[in-house]
This record gives sequence, C-alpha cells and structure tokens, in this order.
Amino acid sequence: MLEKQYREMLNKCSRCGGCQAHCPLYTETGREPYVARGKVELIENLQGGNLEWNDRLAEIFSTCLLCGSCSENCPNGVEVDKMVRAARKDLVAARGLPIIKKNVFQHLLKYNGRLKTIGKLLAFYQKSGLQKVLRGTGILKLFPMKLAEKERILPRISGKAFRDSFPAKTGLDNPKLKVAYFTGCVTNLVTPQVGASVLKVLSSNNVEVIIPVQYCCGVPALASGEMEVAKFLAAENIKYFKSLDVDYIVMDCATCFSTWLEYPELLKSEDASQLAKKVMDINIFLVEILDIKLEPRNLGIKVTYHDPCHLKRTPGGKSSPRELLKRLSPCYEYVELELADRCCGSAGSFNLTHYDLSQKVAMHKVDSIANSKAEIVASACPSCIMQLNHSLQNSGSKVEAKHVIELVAECIESDE
Amino acid sequence: MDKKIINQVINIVGPENVLTDNEERICYSYDGTFKRGIPDIVVFPGNTQEVVSIIKLANSEKIPVFPRGAGTGLSGGSIPQANGIALVMTKMNKIKEINENDLLAVVEPGVITGHLHQEVEKLNLFYPPDPASLKTCTMGGNIAENAGGPRAFKYGVTRDYVLGLEVVTPTGKVMRTGGRTVKNVTGYDLTRLLTGSEGTLGVITEITVRLIPKPKYKKTALVIFDNLDDAAKTVTVVISEGVIPATLELMDRITIACVEKNTKLGLPLDAEAILLMEVDGSDAQTTEEINIIQNICKKNNCRRIEVASTFEEREKLWKARRAVSSAIVQLKPTKISEDATVPRSKIPEMIRRLREIATKYNLNLPVFGHAGDGNLHPNIIADKSDKEEMERVEKAVSEIFEAALELGGTLSGEHGVGIMKKPYLEWELGEVGLEYLKTIKKAVDPNNILNPGKIF
Repeated sequence: MLEKQYREMLNKCSRCGGCQAHCPLYTETGREPYVARGKVELIENLQGGNLEWNDRLAEIFSTCLLCGSCSENCPNGVEVDKMVRAARKDLVAARGLPIIKKNVFQHLLKYNGRLKTIGKLLAFYQKSGLQKVLRGTGILKLFPMKLAEKERILPRISGKAFRDSFPAKTGLDNPKLKVAYFTGCVTNLVTPQVGASVLKVLSSNNVEVIIPVQYCCGVPALASGEMEVAKFLAAENIKYFKSLDVDYIVMDCATCFSTWLEYPELLKSEDASQLAKKVMDINIFLVEILDIKLEPRNLGIKVTYHDPCHLKRTPGGKSSPRELLKRLSPCYEYVELELADRCCGSAGSFNLTHYDLSQKVAMHKVDSIANSKAEIVASACPSCIMQLNHSLQNSGSKVEAKHVIELVAECIESDE
Repeated sequence: MDKKIINQVINIVGPENVLTDNEERICYSYDGTFKRGIPDIVVFPGNTQEVVSIIKLANSEKIPVFPRGAGTGLSGGSIPQANGIALVMTKMNKIKEINENDLLAVVEPGVITGHLHQEVEKLNLFYPPDPASLKTCTMGGNIAENAGGPRAFKYGVTRDYVLGLEVVTPTGKVMRTGGRTVKNVTGYDLTRLLTGSEGTLGVITEITVRLIPKPKYKKTALVIFDNLDDAAKTVTVVISEGVIPATLELMDRITIACVEKNTKLGLPLDAEAILLMEVDGSDAQTTEEINIIQNICKKNNCRRIEVASTFEEREKLWKARRAVSSAIVQLKPTKISEDATVPRSKIPEMIRRLREIATKYNLNLPVFGHAGDGNLHPNIIADKSDKEEMERVEKAVSEIFEAALELGGTLSGEHGVGIMKKPYLEWELGEVGLEYLKTIKKAVDPNNILNPGKIF
C-alpha cells in the first residue's frame, strides 16, 4: 500500500494532462503510460485492485527519469516523481527486484571493498588491452541489449579509488572552516580528478577537509524502491558523519546531495535531521559561504552549463554554479544553454536499462550544446557528466563535459 | 476485441502504432474530467489514408471509434463509451505550411496549439485562440471542441479562425470543406458544422487556419473592487467606451481568499472582486486604452489599480490569476469545472445566483473567469470519494445550468457537451433542436461509428 501522503496526492491529480508538456519521455514516446498522469491512473487502478503488478507494469514504472519536471510544473502540486518511487517500493514488496539489481544492491553497494574491486577490474579491462581486443573483434556487438554502446558510457577509469589516494585529513594549520567531504561513488571510483579538484579549491581557500569512511549514498536502491538497502546505507553514512566536528558536509554530486537531504524522511532520526542541515553542494558552498575570488588567466574558452535535476530545485542550486562560471571570466566565457534544466536522460541506471530512449533524450541536450557554440559543457553531477560525454561522443561532437569544480581548480595557481 | 480485427488494424498502421495491453489501454480511458471508459484498442494513425482504412474497417465490423487528441478535454468528449477503438491523432503532428502572404497556416490535427503559436509568432503573425491547456492540447481537439480561451472576447474562438478542413467522414471517405479564403459561401458551411462537432461527424485530418498580424504592445491593469457591482459596471463602461481588452478576467472573493492563502501576494481579503485587464495593439493605442481604463475604474470606485507595461511587471500582475488553479484545489481535491456562460450584462446576477446555489448545497464554489464574454467558469471544489457530497454537486450543477439558461446564456461556452452536459442538452436546444442534431448525425453516420454516446 502507498503511504498516506501519496494516496492523498492521487486525488489531487485532475488528469489535466499538463505534464505532457514537461515530460522528456512523453516528448520522445508520445504515449500516455510514460507520462505522469498515465502513471497516476495506473497507481489508482493498482490501489483499487483493478490491476496487479506484472511485467508490463514493472516496465512502465521503470520508464521514468525521476527528473521531477512534472511535479515542478503541476498546477495541483502532485509530486508524481515521489509517487513513482513509492510505487516502485510497492512493486519490490510485491515481486522483488530484477535479479541484476538485487545482486548489485545486496552484494555490492553495501561493501566498499567489493565496489573497489569492480573498479579495479574495469580499469584492468580498459588498460590491459582487453577492451581494445573486444571492441576490435566486434564480439560486444554479438550481445543483445546494445552491449557495445553501453560499454562505452564508462569513461577511462583510474583503477585507484580516490579515497585511497588522499589522506583522510588535509591538515591545515589554521583553517577558517572545517568540512567533511562526501565523495560519492563516481568521483571515488571513476573520476578521481573531480575529487582532487575539490581538495585543491578548498585547501587554497584555507578550508580543512576531512574525508571520513563512507558508503554509497543509497540512491540506486532508493530510486528502485529497495528501501531496506537504502536505509542501511543512509544509516551507515550517518554513523560515520555524525560525530565529526565540522561546519559543513560538502559534495560534488548533485544526486548524492539530494539523497542526503532525504535522509531525515527515510530514517526519521534526529541525527539525520541535524546532519541534513550541514549538507551543502560544493558550488553553493563556494559562492554562498566562501564567496571565493578567482583571478583567472585569459583563455577565452566558451563554457555553458547543464542543470542536474537533483540540484536545480535547491535554493541557490541554479544560480551558484553559473555564478562560479561567471567568476572564471575571462578564462572561461560563460554562455547560457537553451533548455539548460531539461533532464539529460542519465537518471542513474536508466541509461543502461533504457539505452535507446535515454540517448534520444540526451540528443536534445547535444543539439542545444551545439547551438551554444561552447567548447566545454560544465555540470555539477558526475552521472550527468558521464551521460553528456557519452552522447556528445556518439554524435561526433568535440565538446567535452566537465565538473564545474574542475574548471575552478584549473584557474587556481597551485602552491605546491 | 476479436484477434482477427486486431490483426487487421495492425496491418493498417503497423504493430508499433497499436496498443492492446490492459495497462496501456487504461491510460487512454480518461480526459480532464473524472469520467472513465477503457477502449478495446488504442490506434495511432500516421496519415489520412490510414484513418480512412480504420474507419472503413470499423464500419464493416460495426466497431465504434473514439477520436482523441491530447486528452485534455473537460467534457468527456474523447472518452470511449462502449469499448471500441481509441483513435489517437497525436502522431499526425506536422505544421505543413505557414503562409505570410495569404495569412494562413495548414496543420495536421496532432499539432500542439502552443507550438503553432510559437512558430507563427516567430514570423510576427498571430493565432489568437488560447485555451488554458495550450501547451499540451492539439489543434484537432481544439477544432472538434471549438475551444475558446481568455482572448476570445476580443479575438473570437477557434471557429472564427478555421478556413478549411480535410475530414474523413464517418463512412470512411475523404472530404474537403472550406478553403484558403476568408470569404467562402459555396454550399452549406460544413467547416463550421464540423468545428465543434466533438468527433461525431468526422475525423479531422488537416486544418487550415487564418492568421492575423501579431499585436506589438501589451499593457495590463490589476484592479481591486470593494463591490462586485462596481466591477461589473466597470466592465460594461470600458466596453461601451470602445475599449475591447484582449483579456478581461474576474476573480471573486472566494477565489481571492484561496489565492492569498496559498501565495501570500498581499491580496485584500475583504475585496469583492479583482479585475485583470490587458490591452494589446500599437504603442499609442495601448497607452490611450489603458488610460481610459484607469479613469473608468476610478470613477467606478475601485479601491486600487496597478498598471504595468514591461513583460516582468505584467507577469507580476498575472501572478494572482495564474495561481488560481493550484490554489483552489487546496480546498478539496476534485475540481468540477463548469463553463456555463451568460450575456455580459447578466454577470453580477449570475454571480449572485452562483452564491445562492453554493450556500444551498453547502459547496465550495469559487468563481473566476472571462468577464468580457460572460464565460464565468464556476468551479465546484469537492471530493470525488465523498458520495454524498458528489450528489449535492450534481444537483448544484443542474441548478447552475438552469440559472445560465434563464439569464439568456448557454450550458457550455467552450468545453463542449461530451458526456458531462448530455442530460441537459434539451433544456437549451428544445425538442426540435435536439431532433435536428440527431437527424444530421444519422444521415452522415448511418452505422453510428464515430464517437457514439456523445452530445446526445
């Protein structure tokens, strides 16, 4: 059964269809099951006992980016993205998770060591020449589900986890602020240069950084409706962060950030509520708390910005990254992107489970990036950045997607 | 539905354009009302010829066909009644032509109205009909329901812009009506008959609409009145002074209270009415007209008037009006949106009667709507899961219709009859009128294939 608040929301949806104008997946498919009000109607039928969970419904409810555009624009204030997540939870309770997800959640996410091993194996695969061999033979193309294309989503990875490469404390003599850094899995395992940039920018601004023991934020489980795993991971993170003597908890990943903001609702604990108040996106931290000054060199490179869904609705979440990019002038010349806040189609593992649809959504982004004439598209969410780079490469574009913090770090003269 | 027939449909449009799963069909059982009806099969034709083939098949197999656009209607017009085929026209969504010399556009029925607005406005042209759902609703649906919108008082409704149509008749033949000229009196005016026929007389497959030059300037006034009669009188005087505002929206006291509670815009809770008036045209004309409006409002005891001309300032004034929809459903979740319309001079009387009806049946009934054309949009805000309340709603609705007709008005200004107003149709049309409609329907659709069970 859906929780009470979502049952009440069911009644609020008048089926006006306004969501059609805002749903990236409806734009591509033109089909009602893939738009918010269709899902609301199906949830109502499930609640009323006219439908029971089956493969078709599981597929329909997996076809949602959770980008929240429908909720943001609903005249009646129906939060369909949250209802979809509640429905997925219902689905997991009724039928369990698909076997792949179940294994990933139960046997990988809960174990940092195993995640790292996977990272190392992937790095070995890329570096050993095995990747070249497999791509060259065309063997990947023989597999179903577009394995050849999906395999390219993952950028070249380092193999050494970020958190293993840096000390747990930066150890400044007389810091003006102390922060704990929640790195997120992608920065830790795939793009450690983003983490290095965070450390460089914060240290050069005399901010002490502590990198505590930490787990996956839990969003893959949360989005899939696997609440027990999500709660386990949230509780572990709270456990390791609650006793730290820090002013803020910063993150470079918009998705981890928004998940942390949900910990109080998820765990219903006082510790979670207290910690959620300290959580801050790195862009907002740099602009609103540090108000950093930059003295960039003149490179004159055009840069534009893509809004991650998980950051844009937070106060300051739209303005802070843009403000940082503007402060990088004349090193980077900031240009606004058309439909900058439209979802890129990544949506966690959606770009693996629904590869073609995800790429169609991303192509709108690729087009507007091309129209902006920018050479770099900055963003503030590692999974958006992976998706953007993959889609840009697919389209033959030379534009590169990077994290805002990487650009900021480049503009700071290193003391070392 | 018989497997053999499903296969025939698949042969016509291709398997990717047919939905048969229960889960998918349920998603085509609704529109913007609370009525439901699940189709046996959902079909997305891609061109006129496919529509012809589907309609012919439906005739030979005697299967009802329910044409549908974006499904945003407010009268149940697209909701399947006795199973049958939901014929969804959204795939036919090309703008075929925008002609600056002849001032017209030719579009397929699935084109989204707001999208057409954007495209013609890029060329400094203007397609005025602006139903509230314009970001999602389709041109085909607008023609079928003869949609209106806030700009209707100055610029007219959809039918005033339709020059010609391509239609697949209920027996599956292709017919063209009207043409590409403003003047055309050759034969019966079938374009106007089809416009507003609610999918019962033909499936619209191509539309030619008239365009006009886009007005360059806009000025907006938000006016607060202590007294409803003063607001109503202001409307009358403004018009008799020769000013036709492009927008003339009225919000009553209950609506003001809902909006204020939700948005904290600082609206006065003791005011009886707010008028939002917008004039458009040349710079000189809009300046003159907004001055006239200001003077009239002051003479008619307005409490306060705010005037804006830049986009940002105008948006601020629109904020209250735009907040209405979400504000009123905070009272209760189910909105029964009526569009009974009265002659302009009867607006104060109609509002008084609506209040009496609301009190009599103990219902939430905020009134906000298009004061220029008397299309007041009384909205009953109820809870559909409360059976007893919904019974009171039904009685109140019937009294609202009675009141509108007594005052020389109509059951529906712009939503159409569909299934929602079917029981009351004879009150307005009389026995002879109703019979006339039925005779036309029988003559062109002998097998009763197209959208049966609607209007009458």
